[in-house]
Amino acid sequence: MDISVIIESLPDFFKGTVLTIQLTAISVAIGFCLAILLSIMRVSKNPFVWMPVYGFNFYFRGTPLLVQLFLIYYGSGQFQDFLSTVGLWQYFREAYFCAVLTLTLNTAAYASEIFRGGIQGVSFGEVEAARACGMSGVKLYRRIIMPAALRIAWPAYTNEVVFLLQASSLVSIITLMDITGVARVEAAQTFAFYELFLFAAFIYLVLVYGVIFLFRKVEQRITAHLVHEAK
Amino acid sequence: MDQSRKVSVRAENIYKKFGNLEVLKGISLEAREGDVISLIGSSGSGKSTFLRCINLLEAPTSGDIYVGEEHIKLKKNRLGKTVAVDRKQVDRIRTKLAMVFQHFNLWSHMTVLENVVEAPVHVLKKEKKAAKDAAMALLEKVGIADRHHYFPAQLSGGQQQRAAIARALAMEPDLLLFDEPTSALDPELVGEVLKVMKDLVKEGRTMIMATHEMGFAREVSSHVVFLDQGIAEDEGSPEYIFGKPQSARCRLFLSNLI
Amino acid sequence: MFNLEGYGHLLLEGAKLTILVGLFSMVIALALGMVAALCKLSKIWILDFGAGVYTTVVRGVPELVLILLVYYGGPTLIQDASGFFGYDVYVDLNPFVAGSMTIGFIYGAFATEVFRGAFMAVSRGQIEAARACGMGSVMAFRRIQLPQMWRFAIPGLGNIWMVLIKATALISVIQLPELMRNADVAARAIRKPFTCYFVASLLYLLITILSLVFQQWAEKRASRGVRRE
Repeated sequence: MDISVIIESLPDFFKGTVLTIQLTAISVAIGFCLAILLSIMRVSKNPFVWMPVYGFNFYFRGTPLLVQLFLIYYGSGQFQDFLSTVGLWQYFREAYFCAVLTLTLNTAAYASEIFRGGIQGVSFGEVEAARACGMSGVKLYRRIIMPAALRIAWPAYTNEVVFLLQASSLVSIITLMDITGVARVEAAQTFAFYELFLFAAFIYLVLVYGVIFLFRKVEQRITAHLVHEAK
Repeated sequence: MDQSRKVSVRAENIYKKFGNLEVLKGISLEAREGDVISLIGSSGSGKSTFLRCINLLEAPTSGDIYVGEEHIKLKKNRLGKTVAVDRKQVDRIRTKLAMVFQHFNLWSHMTVLENVVEAPVHVLKKEKKAAKDAAMALLEKVGIADRHHYFPAQLSGGQQQRAAIARALAMEPDLLLFDEPTSALDPELVGEVLKVMKDLVKEGRTMIMATHEMGFAREVSSHVVFLDQGIAEDEGSPEYIFGKPQSARCRLFLSNLI
Repeated sequence: MFNLEGYGHLLLEGAKLTILVGLFSMVIALALGMVAALCKLSKIWILDFGAGVYTTVVRGVPELVLILLVYYGGPTLIQDASGFFGYDVYVDLNPFVAGSMTIGFIYGAFATEVFRGAFMAVSRGQIEAARACGMGSVMAFRRIQLPQMWRFAIPGLGNIWMVLIKATALISVIQLPELMRNADVAARAIRKPFTCYFVASLLYLLITILSLVFQQWAEKRASRGVRRE
């Protein structure tokens, strides 16, 4: 076991970790907002509203993330002329942009299904009581439905964020230097395969259980009012 | 008590604690062949727990249990829990005791017939055809032979419990234990189950039952025990218990039921 | 738009291999999951702990990293270890074996949780009735708990399959000619990456749809005799 290789590559691993966290955080943030919108559309009774969302979710959940990533990063090359004309090519040629776009769309699809489950789990009586007060539309969702839905969906959403964190490792395939990317490059040079990949695995473990810990803390705070005994 | 009949089961000084809660506080009982013993009392008095101690679905915290002449050997394990010394002994003894549960507990992935032949074939190692024939006869006896190929979920509560009784009889037990057999049934279905149980009494079977059916208990029992808060508060013949029991609590309990 | 210029058959070949890898991995995952679930449910502390370490670690590391670790790191580890004992071993893991073993190993951890939950969902009364007839604990497990467990396990196992079959795309990274890799090859050959990857994605979707149909059939079969609430 060659520890020196790991020590020498620590600065690069640090940068890689920062990139991983950055990518994940941005995708989670944008994906979260998009997912809330999609989940509300998904529960609409209007077929013109829920069917496109159903299609979007079905596609992004039914195909591998790697395919989606390649579709956007390599696939956009097939439409280079068109994209240049509308001024978007400068974005699509960047691996970073493609990575964030893919991860965001992917997590939005999964999260919107999770939030949909949450919305449908909200006790119907609470919604009726709000309607009886004259609440409707955006206000109803913002004050009553979504807070309850998110509480129900939180444990499942925690899982989804963990998956996304791990899925971010795929961006190393499109040449981004995240944790996995650093490990692959260093390993190719030093042939210290299992030391470097083990260390990469270790970093991910720490990040994953860090995220789980944080999300559990949030869960405790937002469900504090549901505890039976008064504090 | 008639001393000539063999002792079926004897429980001596049974105590049972669940954590800090003491549910049985020293109950003793002796059942001889042919006895029909009813355990009555309010919920939480310990009727079910005591019954379940007899076939060791619950292990008594202290006390002794004798089935026939055999003493069930118990010991305390490392965590302080009482466990059987010899699991094979318990399994063997259980083949001679049959239990009918409040919630029937028919095996939901098997048909009625499969339920009845399961234990005879796989535990008693009986030959399949013989077991099937015996099973159909029992199902005939409890009145659901025509439903032998149905699954439990497709039967009413009364039919399920009768099937459960057939399953218990298939083991050819020396003693039948009934744990509130009609408590989970809709009122109009209780009668069909009690009728089957009455037939069993007529056959001279040894039975111990925890029950809320006072009229039935009065009619068929040879001995009634009133349990209250974990002790045998009063006991005696049905005429005594349902007539003029000495215990005030017993009288209070029975008066609340009329 | 969908002119694959003759590379269509390559994608279909890839899809076949994808399904094969998926099935192979799934079998490994089910076996590992069952063993680990039994360890977790057993009263022997060391087994419970070991299974716990397995599920905790494997679910915390990205699949890609594990695949690379096993494929590239594995042979080196085996060579170093055997060299330490004085043997000169040259190990060459083929991508199919390395890939499916890794995927099976990973999803075995998820299957553990599914099986564990399913065992615990079988109502206690069923088992009590079996014990009360004098059935030993092993027989009661085999004839009563195990058959009923499947009914509860199938939805969870179905989900695992859905995720697993998509994870096989990662084995393309170690050059296995499954669907993803072949789409890659085709894309470079005819310079139509979007077309190739899009068709590949449609094939994955087809596998997904067929899997959903199969899962519904399996759920119905396992629930025989149970009334749907």
